[in-house]
Parts: sequence; structure tokens; C-alpha cells
Amino acid sequence: MTHVSGKLKKRYIFLITYFILLSIPIYWMLITSFKTDAEILSGLSYFPKNISFENYIEIFTSSVWMSSFANSLIYVGLNVIIVLLVSVPAAYAFSRYQFVGDKHLFFWLLTNRMAPAAVFIVPFTELFYTLHIHDTHLAVALGHCLFNVPLAIWILEGFMSGIPKEIDETAFVDGYSFVHFFRKIFIPLIAPGIGVTAFFSFTFSWVELIIAKAATIVNAKPVVVTLTVGIGAEGVKWGLLAAAGVLTIIPGALVVYFVRNNMAKGFALGRV
Amino acid sequence: MRKTLLLLCVATCLIVPGVLFGEGQQEGATAEESSEAIEKWIEVFSPSALTKEEQRQELEWFIKAAEPYRGMEIVSCAEGIATHKWESEVLAEAFTELTGIKVTHDIIGEGEVVDRIQRQIQTGRKLYDIYVNDADMIGTHLRANSALNLNNYMVGEGAAVTNPMLDLNDWLNPEFGQDYDGNQLQLPDQAFANLYWFRYDWFTDADIMKQFKAIYGYDLGVPVNWAAYEDIANFFTNEVNGDGTIDGEPVYGHMDYGKKSPSLGWRFTDAWLSIAGVGDVGIPNGLPVDEWGIRVENKIPKGASVSRGGATNSPAAVYALTKYVDWMKNYAPDYAASMTWSEAGPTPSRGNIAQRPFQYITWLADPAFNDPESPVTDKNGKPLWRVAPTPHGKYWDEGMKVGYQDAGSWTILKDSVTGDDRAAAWLWAQFASSKTVSLKKFTVGRTPVRKSTVFSDYLAEEEKKGTYGGIVTFYKSPVEYMWTDSGPNVPHYPLLAEQWWKNIATAVTGDTTPQESMDNLARDMDDLMGKMNLKQFSPELNPERDPQYWLDQPGSPKAERPDEEPKTIAYDELIKEWN
Repeated sequence: MTHVSGKLKKRYIFLITYFILLSIPIYWMLITSFKTDAEILSGLSYFPKNISFENYIEIFTSSVWMSSFANSLIYVGLNVIIVLLVSVPAAYAFSRYQFVGDKHLFFWLLTNRMAPAAVFIVPFTELFYTLHIHDTHLAVALGHCLFNVPLAIWILEGFMSGIPKEIDETAFVDGYSFVHFFRKIFIPLIAPGIGVTAFFSFTFSWVELIIAKAATIVNAKPVVVTLTVGIGAEGVKWGLLAAAGVLTIIPGALVVYFVRNNMAKGFALGRV
Repeated sequence: MRKTLLLLCVATCLIVPGVLFGEGQQEGATAEESSEAIEKWIEVFSPSALTKEEQRQELEWFIKAAEPYRGMEIVSCAEGIATHKWESEVLAEAFTELTGIKVTHDIIGEGEVVDRIQRQIQTGRKLYDIYVNDADMIGTHLRANSALNLNNYMVGEGAAVTNPMLDLNDWLNPEFGQDYDGNQLQLPDQAFANLYWFRYDWFTDADIMKQFKAIYGYDLGVPVNWAAYEDIANFFTNEVNGDGTIDGEPVYGHMDYGKKSPSLGWRFTDAWLSIAGVGDVGIPNGLPVDEWGIRVENKIPKGASVSRGGATNSPAAVYALTKYVDWMKNYAPDYAASMTWSEAGPTPSRGNIAQRPFQYITWLADPAFNDPESPVTDKNGKPLWRVAPTPHGKYWDEGMKVGYQDAGSWTILKDSVTGDDRAAAWLWAQFASSKTVSLKKFTVGRTPVRKSTVFSDYLAEEEKKGTYGGIVTFYKSPVEYMWTDSGPNVPHYPLLAEQWWKNIATAVTGDTTPQESMDNLARDMDDLMGKMNLKQFSPELNPERDPQYWLDQPGSPKAERPDEEPKTIAYDELIKEWN
């Protein structure tokens, strides 16, 4: 008994230490966001001497900051919707049917993720101009599909392959039409997979900088571009950047909270 | 429930952009509305170098000239300094209200501005109608043939939209944006110099002055040359009050930065080599060799290495780098070497730094330097510090530039911005740098570009009170024109500027000697210039020959020189000379 609790204790000590180590940067960003720049630059302090909300006030009262946050949320939301609409049927096809070159096509999808984003800047800029969607939310959402769709297909295919094909067949025998079966039976079965896929698409799209920068100017200016304003000829606005950093973590943290139970399976591309 | 949520999400995605960025219909303004708007904005643009009547006249001209373009939308961009933020928050609104041309002045990071202007040049697609782009890019624009020639535009296509009260002669430094032939490709919108910063209160303290004289045999004052700067640095770091302390606190006679980062390159390309005296005589930039050490003949860059007639690895450049490394090691606080430009900028405001060879004046607008709580102000919040001309190195000759001035300048890319867009953008640029608004703009961001601003009665009064720590005095001085930016000799600013910090950093860490660092840098720049294929005046490198041949020729690259005698001048004397 004592042996077991000793083991547990060790494990807890390890986990708590690990958690503290992970939390240090976030804690640092949080306290920095409540300091004035004068205090940040004057020396090391582990908590703000005078708690200042100046940095948050600047963000919440600035239409530029607020519209940037809104822009980012909009194109990320759009991206998640497009990714799911495209990849759920695609993943089903890879999971349930065999066709010429399916394995190669499936692998090729993943190679898209291996290409550096910078390669796509000029072609995407040209493409979006030609389609007259440059500097719109749709442009960024479509641009991010390049990376998110392959990943989504891989994750969803893993989840779908974990569901026996007999379930599909039984449903058809019971007289379900394909659409009806898909909505009523199949989607609920892979719901955790869809949640995890949405989470991965969301996080990638939320933090991606290169394509978001290339596809926008002012109308769909994302928060990652507004953040660059904190560094310029007048130095670094540490407090402002920290406050913006804290605010950019929040949406991601919320999404993580909702899909926390299925994250591990998602990281294993659904193959558990 | 889930369905409802999903529908809500989709609806939000579709509706919010419309709400946030919905466009109102622009209608023509009546005469009454216009005059109300003028009166409203005249109140905002106060103080001004113009009388209220003159302001009214100028704003009326803008309203009239903009008539054909009413309802248009234009987008400009600039980096995030106080001046540009004010333009985007106040001036853009004023311009939109007065002229009916909706302007969005997009404020982004400095690096981002350069990225986007390059992308617009490369793709020929219009990202912005007009940029505020550093005039350091002048050599790039003239060789890429990318920027609109404003002189031709003003008398030709854009005559109807050129403000009769623009007064180009009123610009402090229009030459920053001119090519070799004096064509205005860029027009300064804000400028800030890089000046010597020092603690006036310590330098005029009788006891400290006595101590300095006893040790060095000459008066403590603003150093005219590097020999004196070095003595003063040593005095404050090691000798003042016997142990390098004031009021029991350790002080330092020098401040700089040395972390391996792109900003280390600016330290050199902006200022250091020109102050050392690397280039040839000539204002704004040395010709045929400029302060980057690039030789140009007939507008064509010929090389940076001494063996090709350049001066990037000349004795003067090596001397500059050697002094930079030695001073940082011997006289600056320990943390200086691990700082970047932005971290080092505000450090003198901590109150333990006696002098700094160059300090960008944009930092000096910061509360850290002006707050009554600050260690570098008196109890009334007046600065205990002053700015003065930067001391120069032993290779410097009369008639050379003595420091750096940054000048964000209005730039229209001619291939991608045409017709009405061009006209509306030009109106906006003139408005944002007009006499009506310039003085008010200076009080916000302290980055003057007009003589009428710095010579205004309002600033004369403020300067008497000591409000601006000598900045205005400097801009009014007869020597201001000697502070200039990177010149037209640099054929591709973004690409070549990148080579500096990598090569300088190894000298800071001691991995290479200063001579090796500068040799590598000169070679890298020559390699890149040799591969360039620009639209016009593309580099054609001189064949390599014995460096001694070039060192024996008059002018830059200059042969080794003996050390100089230290020389100082009292700040108050200096001011008298200027008036």
C-alpha cells in the first residue's frame, strides 16, 4: 500500500513540477500584461507593483485591435466550416472505398502539409486577385485549407476506419438512405473525431501568420499582423504585446476545453 | 439546440463583416457642411505655423481639389510610431470628412512595410495606394524604377491636385527622397535624427567638471571627436568620485547594444561608419564612396571591398568596428551586449548613463524621459539631459555627414497605382504633411520635416522652457543638414542591410577580428551586387586589384591615420554658435 502511494506521490511531484514549468511563460505573459512599460523595462519583478489595465484598455478601445480579433475569428470560423464540409465526405471515401491510386492520393495529401507556407505566397496572391477575393476573410480561410484539409482527412479517416463497415451495411439493410444514415448514425459515431478535427483546424488557422499576412491588407487584417505594430522605431511595447498575447490564448483555451477528452485520439490521427 | 448554435455561428460569420466593415454611401458636402468641418478641424490643428485664415484657405483648397474623387477609397500604410498613429486616428478622419475620400492609414510593423512594398513592386498588384517608406530605399527605387517621379507629376498629370501652398522649399531635408539628378521620388513625412545624448546636469556640475579637468587636462563638455568621447566614457565608468559612482550609485560613461539581431545591422548602416568617417566628402551622402563603403561611378555601384575601390573593409571601417566593440566591453553596463536596439533605446532613462554616442530622438518623446517621476528629469518634469551633435571619428573630414536621420517618406509605386488612385493618394500625402497640420503633428510625435514647424514662434517659446531637451534647437541649427539617411548608392537596401548584423555579431562575440568581420561583409555585399540584375544602373563590379592602389588614391577608401587630440565644447557655447 505504502509502495503504491509512494509511487503516486512521485508521479504527482513530477506532474506538478512539469505543470509549473509549462505555466511559467504563460504566467510571465499574464503579469507583464498588467505592468506598465516603464515597470517592465526598469528591472525584474515577479508580480506587478501597481496593477495597470492600460494595455487592455488600449486594445479594447481601439477599433483596429477589435476588428483584427474579429477578422481572425471570422476567417478561422469560416476555415473550420469549409474544412469539415470538404474533409468529412473525403475521409469517408478513403475509409470505405477502394479506387485506383487511393493510397498514393492519401499520402500525397499529407505531403501538402510538408511544403513551407512561404512557397505559396506569390501564387496565392495572384490567385486571390484573379478571383477578386484578395483581402477578404474567404481568401485566408481558403488559403488555410491547403494545410488543414489534408490533416482533417487523415484524422477523420482514422476515426472512421475505427467504425466497423458492418454498421453501414446494417443501416442500408434497415432501409436507411445514404444521407439519412450519414446524418442519423454515422456522424454521431464520429462526433469526437469531428470535434478534434475542428480543434486542430482552429488552432492552425488561429496562429498561422504567413498566408494570413499575404492574403490580407486592411479589410480582413488578422490579429497576427496587428501584433507586429508593437515592434517599431519607438521600441517594443512589451505590455501591449503581452496583453494581446493573453487575449489570443483565450479562444484556443476554450476550444481545448471542449475537446479535451478526445485530444489524445486526435494526435494519433484517430488510430487508437 | 446544437442546430441553433451552428446556425448562429454561420450567421455571425456572414453578418459581422458587413457590420464591421460596411460602407456608407458618400454624398457631396454642402458649402455649409464644409465650412463647419473646416472650423472644427482648425481647432484640432492648433498650434499651427499658419494663421487660422491661412489654414482655412488651405483646407478649402483640399476640399475643392478633391471634388472629382469624392466617394473614392484609398489605403496607405506606415510603421507604428506615434506620428503615424496620430495620422491614422486623427488626420485620416479629418481628410475623409473634409474631402469625402475615405482613407485608411494602415499601421503595421516596420519590417512588414518593407515586405509589402517589395511584394507590390514584384507582383505589380496594388496592395496600397501610397506608402510611408523610409527614404533609405531611395537607391532601391531609383534602380527598380518603381517610384513615381513627383516633380514630373506635380507639373504634369497631377497639376490640378498639387497644393499651391505645398512649398517644397519649406522641407528640411527634401534631398533624402531625391535620386542623383534631384528628382523627388519620395517626400519625407516624418524624420528623426540620431543624436549624441548626455546628462547636462552632470556635465555642468562644478565638482565633476573639476575632477575631469584634473585627470585629463581639458574641460568636460560635449565631445567633438571620438578621442574625447572615449575619455569621458572612461571617466564616468571608472573615475568619477574615485570609483565611477555618483551619489553612491555606479554610473556608466557609455551605452550601446550588441545582441545578434537585425537591429545590430541598423546600428552600423545607419550611423556608425559615417560618424567614423568611412565615406567620401559630400552631403547628403559621400560620392563616389558612401558611408556603407559602396563605390558608385555614373550611378552604377562598383563594389564594397577596398580591392574594388569600396571602403567597407577599409582601415576606417575596421577602426569604427574596433571602437564599437572596445567601448561596449570597457565602458557600457554588462547588460548592453545582450540587448537589442529596442531594449537599449530607453535605458538611459534609468538615470545611470552619462552619455550615449547616438540616441534616436523618437525614444525621447517617451514618458520614461519626460515624466516628473523619471530619474532623468527635475521635479518639474523638465529634462536633465540634452542632445547635441554626434562626435566623429578620426577619419572624418570637413564636408562629410556626421550622423543619421531616418525619414519615413511618401512613396507612390507608379506601375500599380495610376489615374484617380494616384491623385487621391497624392492629395492625402500632401494633407498629412501640410503646414496646416505639421506643427500639431510635431507636438504629438516630435518628428519634424518642415522648417516652418521648427522655426515657429510656438516652439521657440516651448524650447525656452526646456520642453524638448534641445531637439528643436538642433533642428533649427545650421548643422542639421549634415544628418542624413542612407543614400542612393545602396542598390538593394533590404537585401544588403541583412548582411551587416550577421557579420558584425561575430566581432562582438570575439569569433572574428574586426578586420575579418569587415572583410566578410564586403565580400558578401560584392557577391550579392555582382548577381543583381536591376532595371537600371545595375551594379557592375570593378575587377579586383591590389588594395594599396585604392588607398593611395585621394578620398575614400582612406589609408590608416594617426590618433587625434581629444576636443570638447561646452553645450552652452555650442548653442550660441548655432544662433
